[in-house]
Amino acid sequence: MKPAPTLSMAFLHPAGQLLPEPLAALRKQRGTALVDMPLPTRKTENWKYSSKHLKLTDDMAISLPAEGKTGSSLAVPGYKVAFLNGVMMPEASEYPDLSGIRIQSFGDLDDNEASELAQKLDDTLGGSEENGAVQMARLNSARFEDGLLIRLKPGAVLDQPLFIIHETSADASGSAYPRIFVDAGANSQITLIEEYISSGSEPAMVNTVTEVMVGEGANVTSIRLNMEGDNVQHIGATGVLQQRSSRFESHSVGFGGPLRRHDLRVRLEGEGAECKLNGVVVTRDKQHYDNHTSIEHVAPHCNSEETYRNIAADQSHAIFSGRIHIHQDAQKSSADMNNKNLLLSNGAEIDTKPVLEIYADDVKCAHGATIGQLDEISLFYLVSRGIGRREANVLLTMAFINELVEQIPVEAVRETVQGRLNHFFEQTFLEA
Amino acid sequence: MLSIKNLHASVEGKEILKGINLEIKAGEVHAIMGPNGSGKSTLSQVLAGNEAFEVTDGEVVMNGENLLELETEERAREGIFLAFQYPVEIPGVSNLQFLRTAVNSMRKHHGEEEMNAAEFMKLAKDVSRQVDLDPAFLKRGVNEGFSGGEKKRNEIMQALLLQPKLAILDETDSGLDIDALKVVADGVNALRSQDRAILMVTHYQRLLNHIVPDYVHVLAGGRIIKSGGRELALELEEKGYGWLGIKDEETADNAAN
Repeated sequence: MKPAPTLSMAFLHPAGQLLPEPLAALRKQRGTALVDMPLPTRKTENWKYSSKHLKLTDDMAISLPAEGKTGSSLAVPGYKVAFLNGVMMPEASEYPDLSGIRIQSFGDLDDNEASELAQKLDDTLGGSEENGAVQMARLNSARFEDGLLIRLKPGAVLDQPLFIIHETSADASGSAYPRIFVDAGANSQITLIEEYISSGSEPAMVNTVTEVMVGEGANVTSIRLNMEGDNVQHIGATGVLQQRSSRFESHSVGFGGPLRRHDLRVRLEGEGAECKLNGVVVTRDKQHYDNHTSIEHVAPHCNSEETYRNIAADQSHAIFSGRIHIHQDAQKSSADMNNKNLLLSNGAEIDTKPVLEIYADDVKCAHGATIGQLDEISLFYLVSRGIGRREANVLLTMAFINELVEQIPVEAVRETVQGRLNHFFEQTFLEA
Repeated sequence: MLSIKNLHASVEGKEILKGINLEIKAGEVHAIMGPNGSGKSTLSQVLAGNEAFEVTDGEVVMNGENLLELETEERAREGIFLAFQYPVEIPGVSNLQFLRTAVNSMRKHHGEEEMNAAEFMKLAKDVSRQVDLDPAFLKRGVNEGFSGGEKKRNEIMQALLLQPKLAILDETDSGLDIDALKVVADGVNALRSQDRAILMVTHYQRLLNHIVPDYVHVLAGGRIIKSGGRELALELEEKGYGWLGIKDEETADNAAN
């Protein structure tokens, strides 16, 4: 038997001197541990549809330089932090000095702060029991060059959304490793918008990790928008740990690419914690999008509610894998997972896989998955009112996801997303 | 305005319409009556352009244009409107967005300026009141969770907004209580004009008490077997379809009750 392929040595050499010593040391240690890490293959359950799209050639190992200007089409009121190829750009960032809230690049931390952070990094990403799920996050831990630390003291409330732009500038081949760490103290509150965009047209990879510690009674809302170009592979992971009576909300909207992969892991560790995970994915041409979510009900009386919708056109491929794990002591858990899918062509493929592992006996757990096509009778109804076929198709397709888009809590983001989705479908139905 | 000659149509290989001939002039109201399965709904769907039905022979000409060569949306823009027997629920598309898109598609086609959201809202509110539909329904998904009567009123509201040349009402009276029937009839009567024709398809004659037709046709077995004035409808009501030698269980049951 052939041994499983491992990461090329070229990936084990991080660049940049920005990090304070404790973080640099952590990174080095993580890098050493990567040497033997087997890469995902077709036989790795969590990567079976996506491993063939993962391109980890040596040219991809080169760190993309953090030079140039950043730009984003998203204009929302609020605070803004811009990253270019994983490194913060202070001149493109705007946020006030707020009492009780620290927003700081990893590079600017003093050794004490950095050492404290180093002890917490990777905590949300789980142990080795699901090696495949977070495998690629380990690469980020060995390669991050900078990062954003957001720390809210108990009771602190960020009065406006914090908009974090991660731009991958691919004028040459290479990779970038954006990293975010949010530490939301007890009863604090924050809304984050992560937007991933790209410029340049060379093949590139962005490998992200976002970690969120949601303290007791804290309330964190996360909006994640994937908008990179068709030259960029995106492999991201988000890990969330929730304490007692906390709430975490995630709204993700992803446009397809050569490879889009996101692992979202939420652990409900304190009683009465609740999370709501909404996701929308749209793909066309030969795009590929793979969402894996995992919700762990560790403590009793927690609620989780998950709704994902995929729409695949042309020869594209979308995947949803949703895992709910209710631990033995997590009595009175309530979990609801729903995944609906819309195929817009015969050549498109959608795979959906709910996984429920329930070890407690007094729980409420529901799941449902459907795959369908646009309804011919609805289409006839719309065109019989004089609405053009293309516009009618766009209306019906938008209708499939409107319910989720309308829940995006920041109006300016919601409207921008609606516009982008509309545009995407107008292009998709160009020939209709 | 509309001339149907020897129209044959089938669905899934089964012939439903077997040679329909019908002339409708502007300003006229025609009623087509017939038992279940006679082809009434098929005729409506074929005129509106539902591709599930295949036209195998005959012609339909509207104002000099061969209707059968036009796509569904083109027919609508030329003035065909079908009030559906079973209006479709489309969650996720708001009624307001749907109506405005439809009205603006028509306006664009006729070289008129599109209506902005505020202008349209005002118009839509006025028209919804005309059919006794709470303007709150505008914000809901298209027909989503509407009662049968609300759906039918929504259809009539669309006709009032789109101002068609030929309005085809497919069993618009079915499932309505008497109050709703009056509201719908008032809406239809408001549509009556010198340059518009109305084609009502119905099983029962009670709608015709409120919307008085100029002509009544009886459709059976895919053909029009008898035509006359409104007195024909009354005669059918009294004697049932059996009087014309047509078997119709539902009518027979009703007569027995």
